[in-house]
Amino acid sequence: MKRRAILAFMLDRPGVLNKVSMLIRKKMYNVDTLTVCSSRKPGVSRMTITLREDDQARVNQVIRQLEKFTEVISVKELDTDHSYWREVAIVKLEVDGMHLESFRDRYNFEILNQQANEICILQVAGSTRNIDAFLDEVGQEHIIEIARTGVTALEK
Amino acid sequence: MTGKELLLKALKEKGVKFVFGYTGGAIMPVFDEMDKLGTFRFIMSRHEQGAAFMAQGITRASLSTDEPQIGVCMATSGPGAMNLVTGIADAYMDSVPIIAVTGQVATGVIATDAFQESDVVGVMLPISKQTYMPLRADEVEKNVHEAFYVARTGRGGPVVLDVPKDVQNQLVAENYYFDAMNFRPILPGFFYHPTPAREPLQRAIDLINRSERPVLFCGHGVINSNAGKLLQEFAEKVNIPVAFTLHGISALPADHPLSLGMMGMHGTVEANRAIMEADLLIAFGMRFDDRVTGKLNEYARNADVIHVEIDPSEIDKNVATSVAINADVYRTLHVLLGDPMLTYKPRRRWRERISGFRQVIAEELRQEIASGVGDAGKLLMKTVVHQLSELTQGRDLIVADVGQHQMMAARFYNYQTTNSWFASGGAGTMGCSLPMAIGVKLARPAERVWSISGDGGFQMNAQELGTIMEQQLNVKIIILNNGYLGMVRQWQSLFFDGRYAGTPMLSPDFGLLSQAYGIPYRKVERLEDVAPALQQAIDHQGAMMLEFVCDPSELILPMIPAGGGFEDMIIRRPQPAGSASDSEGGES
Repeated sequence: MKRRAILAFMLDRPGVLNKVSMLIRKKMYNVDTLTVCSSRKPGVSRMTITLREDDQARVNQVIRQLEKFTEVISVKELDTDHSYWREVAIVKLEVDGMHLESFRDRYNFEILNQQANEICILQVAGSTRNIDAFLDEVGQEHIIEIARTGVTALEK
Repeated sequence: MTGKELLLKALKEKGVKFVFGYTGGAIMPVFDEMDKLGTFRFIMSRHEQGAAFMAQGITRASLSTDEPQIGVCMATSGPGAMNLVTGIADAYMDSVPIIAVTGQVATGVIATDAFQESDVVGVMLPISKQTYMPLRADEVEKNVHEAFYVARTGRGGPVVLDVPKDVQNQLVAENYYFDAMNFRPILPGFFYHPTPAREPLQRAIDLINRSERPVLFCGHGVINSNAGKLLQEFAEKVNIPVAFTLHGISALPADHPLSLGMMGMHGTVEANRAIMEADLLIAFGMRFDDRVTGKLNEYARNADVIHVEIDPSEIDKNVATSVAINADVYRTLHVLLGDPMLTYKPRRRWRERISGFRQVIAEELRQEIASGVGDAGKLLMKTVVHQLSELTQGRDLIVADVGQHQMMAARFYNYQTTNSWFASGGAGTMGCSLPMAIGVKLARPAERVWSISGDGGFQMNAQELGTIMEQQLNVKIIILNNGYLGMVRQWQSLFFDGRYAGTPMLSPDFGLLSQAYGIPYRKVERLEDVAPALQQAIDHQGAMMLEFVCDPSELILPMIPAGGGFEDMIIRRPQPAGSASDSEGGES
């Protein structure tokens, strides 16, 4: 199913996240990713939700019902052609430093910590697909733990 | 001042006259203060659910009067608040603004599973328009004013205020000041578009002028915006027949020549057939509920749809529109009526077609109503409703419960008074009638109010007879007793091979029950007693209960089976297998 990103601005009040997630549950979706941060305007949060749905009318329904909440200021869908979707992953892995260097030119990662040339913690940023590819190329067998932020998106 | 004083001050400023409710540990301070003040008329319900429906009755019945009020119900924490849930969910489904005030355990013990603690905000979130929990006394007044604004702005709905006990008693600072007159809530995302945009209106007028087979839809929004008169003017001006949703009933007189009656699952043949063949639907203030549309992909396939609706999330939800007008129904009609482009078209062929539809079962219905009794010689509900309509000339206020008798009351009472029909639609809550009738009577004391229930629904909130007794309210109570849950029984006889699982019901002696509450009672079993009994209830000064012993095999027809389309409409009682029935439902 097609992946959708919904961007919403809302008042930073207790219970708002609850309402948003409840609506998405009521509409029978499973949230793929959800990120929340403060916006440039004090007291206003910025939320990016991704979920899977092919039917455009159903996505519009979700957007309109989100807009109905008194705390929600504006909602829109962001498509991949007209916006950037990015996430960050922090990865703990057991790998040879030289092995990692061979990916340096293709992936945007930064080593945060390297202990005795064995355990390495790095962060990598990029599109979901880009990060997946990086993890595959490094080799899933080397990976001990991954923390991913989920998608945040910005319009071009 | 304390939180409780500010709460009551704000309610008073918002025009509240009645408070319905039930006290308890966590709301006691507010009740105590209310008693000291003496400014509100407190009506004690016998169950909190009753209080929520009474509040609905006030809001619904008063909106067409000179003094519209918002109903307020009040309950304690935990079980008190939880008992409100059904009434609030019902108000949410039917877009009825009410305010529910609940007590909550003190802030210091919230989330410790204290005695009678429930997460009221958490429970109410998905079934209310907004919830507030003031954590300091100086937030109370602002929250109340905002609650009223949210409840009645745009599409109405219930708002819940959950007030912790310590906040009720807390004093505000010496320099506390709140300017209620000039208060405007800051809700940057709460848009409301009452005025229609010019461009879609133009396209709508084009479609209306061009249409050959148009139908107007009158929904709850017409009642809520008091636009019945305007809709009638509009229908007459453009010469288009009007079909009603359940909640649109009584917006204009039921016997108006352009009226097609109710549409949908138990709608009239003429309304449903007209919709099936229409080339244009003009919907005012409704949401294309599944009971209205039946199977969506077969619904009005050849029709353009103009949808006038205050809630943008309802537009294009179930039925795709050709022209969407996101605006208040009253203002839209007002603008439309003033537009010189709008033309009157005779549409003779369409009129003839519709009068054909009107005749499909008209004669059979007339005969059935006249015969008055079913197979076992027991009374027909439609006859009782019809006789009530005749006796009262269709002028009284009817509060129906949920089920077969509700559809009978919707179909066979000849509504003449604007906003005179009240029922639970979206939620379909059995037991709503008796308490809602109490609210309706208090809002419109000069008019006669009839609560019509089945034996099942009546027993769901029968305890509110106590409220009627205590408040000496002149509510006429009709129980159409057929010994079954009639609507479910009807489905069982049509779709479940006549196996009556869980529907037969043994009722108490309603005579003794009403006697216990000091309410006069009469049981009616014979057709010739129906009118005299109704007249006796009318003549009696005060509440009276009438029980009609009804035929359980009576059906409310036509019926569109759940999940079926308009073509599947069952018009006549299906014949038992084997007997000839070649003409069943096929003619038009």
